[in-house]
Amino acid sequence: MSNLGFALEGAWKVLLAGLLLGAGLPAIFALGIRSMAFGAGGDAEVDHAPPHPVGRIGAYLLFAVVLLAVVLGITFIVAGGFGKALSFEHIYPTIVDK
Amino acid sequence: MILVLVVVTALGFDFTNGFHDTANAMATSIATRALRPKVAVALSGILNLIGAFLSVEVALTVSNAVVRIQNADGTPKESLTSDGGTALLLIVLAGLIGGIVWNLLTWLLGLPSSSSHALFGGLVGATIAGLGWAGVNWNGNGSKLDGVVGKVILPALISPVIAGVVAAVGTWLIYKVTVGVAARFTENGFRWGQIGSASLVSLAHGTNDAQKTMGVITLALIASGEWTDTKSIPFWVKAACALAIALGTYLGGWRIIRTLGKGLVEIAPPQGMAAESASAAVILASSHLGFALSTTHVATGSILGSGVGRPGAQVRWRVAGRMAATWLITLPAAAMVGALMWYLGDFVGGVAGAIVIFALLLVAAGGMWLRSRLAPVDHTNVNDEWDEPAAAAERVPAGATH
Repeated sequence: MSNLGFALEGAWKVLLAGLLLGAGLPAIFALGIRSMAFGAGGDAEVDHAPPHPVGRIGAYLLFAVVLLAVVLGITFIVAGGFGKALSFEHIYPTIVDK
Repeated sequence: MILVLVVVTALGFDFTNGFHDTANAMATSIATRALRPKVAVALSGILNLIGAFLSVEVALTVSNAVVRIQNADGTPKESLTSDGGTALLLIVLAGLIGGIVWNLLTWLLGLPSSSSHALFGGLVGATIAGLGWAGVNWNGNGSKLDGVVGKVILPALISPVIAGVVAAVGTWLIYKVTVGVAARFTENGFRWGQIGSASLVSLAHGTNDAQKTMGVITLALIASGEWTDTKSIPFWVKAACALAIALGTYLGGWRIIRTLGKGLVEIAPPQGMAAESASAAVILASSHLGFALSTTHVATGSILGSGVGRPGAQVRWRVAGRMAATWLITLPAAAMVGALMWYLGDFVGGVAGAIVIFALLLVAAGGMWLRSRLAPVDHTNVNDEWDEPAAAAERVPAGATH
């Protein structure tokens, strides 16, 4: 296979992972912020709706998802530096030798 | 003696690598005022330092991607080490000088260009001069993504587009999701998201880029017989490289930060967060998949994408075009400097030749630094309004006053 073939093969994988993590996570974060505003109510929203406490809980849940992903990202970098890799073969991530 | 020059020059390159790339991680956070400029560069510098120490893996074969001066296991080619390694050291020295000169020139012009490409370009040029065209690994051997085409040119074309698409989608989603939330409320939240994602980019940068210089220095040490282990690198090399890149980052390439943060797109915190998340995701995903790319190209593509994805945002395509042009000529330009330096060093010969080209580097660096003082950009004016000369000059003919 030629270099171009290898490059395109790698490129669509990077694009897929990038969309999932690089666009998906910010979108979840944005949902969290929206939920937070829904929880705070009043001046936080354009329509000045009354506060909804459930919004806050939702927001913290969504932020937790993002935080978890970021922690995984850092683990990935650190593990890579020590010649290890993150494996998702048991669904939950484990650190294995490369 | 030549070895000392090579080590010093390599650390110098690492330093320029640091300040050239501060912008990749921190330009958006500085532009949106999520972080004060000084705090941003300090944070990025510390994370680069940590990142550099984290890279335990040996990047000794970094030059193998583009030139053939090493065997597959990382030891230098025997033909180049016969006379105490002078032949190899001269190639590496000339290549590093090519990389530094190009990094400084693009910094002076405030253009983000890839430091890895500058390094590769310099090495390619010095190798062509020293060993001829066959010394360059143009296209790999067809078994994997390799060579100048596979490791440099194709990723440079593809990665900004990928990052741009991801950032555009992310920005679009964020603005869609937060419709109806008061602006003051969103800005604050996204500032935090932005700081987090920018920190990830800094850390990843430290692990990736400092390694390259460590590999080059270790190669030089092996060539001159000062080090023999191809599986590890001396601790002082690691510490020196980590410090050089962190100091460079802390110094901050304010000119480039300004171009990336203010020149391309007027960035709001949600866009900044989308851009940095896209950069972090693309850099990490591709390093995981062994797809070599430049953080600079990714960061620029992301910022551009965040401008495209936000309805009604202004993107300065002229600035983007200038950057793209710079990327195209980075490799050949650095190669030309590298080749010239090699010819000069070889012409003078031996230690004297190395000293002459090192002195030339100092003169060139000093000259560009002096030139930069004429119109300094630093942490005080990095966020000033971007008045594009062409847009500002709505020329009214003399006498046509109303």
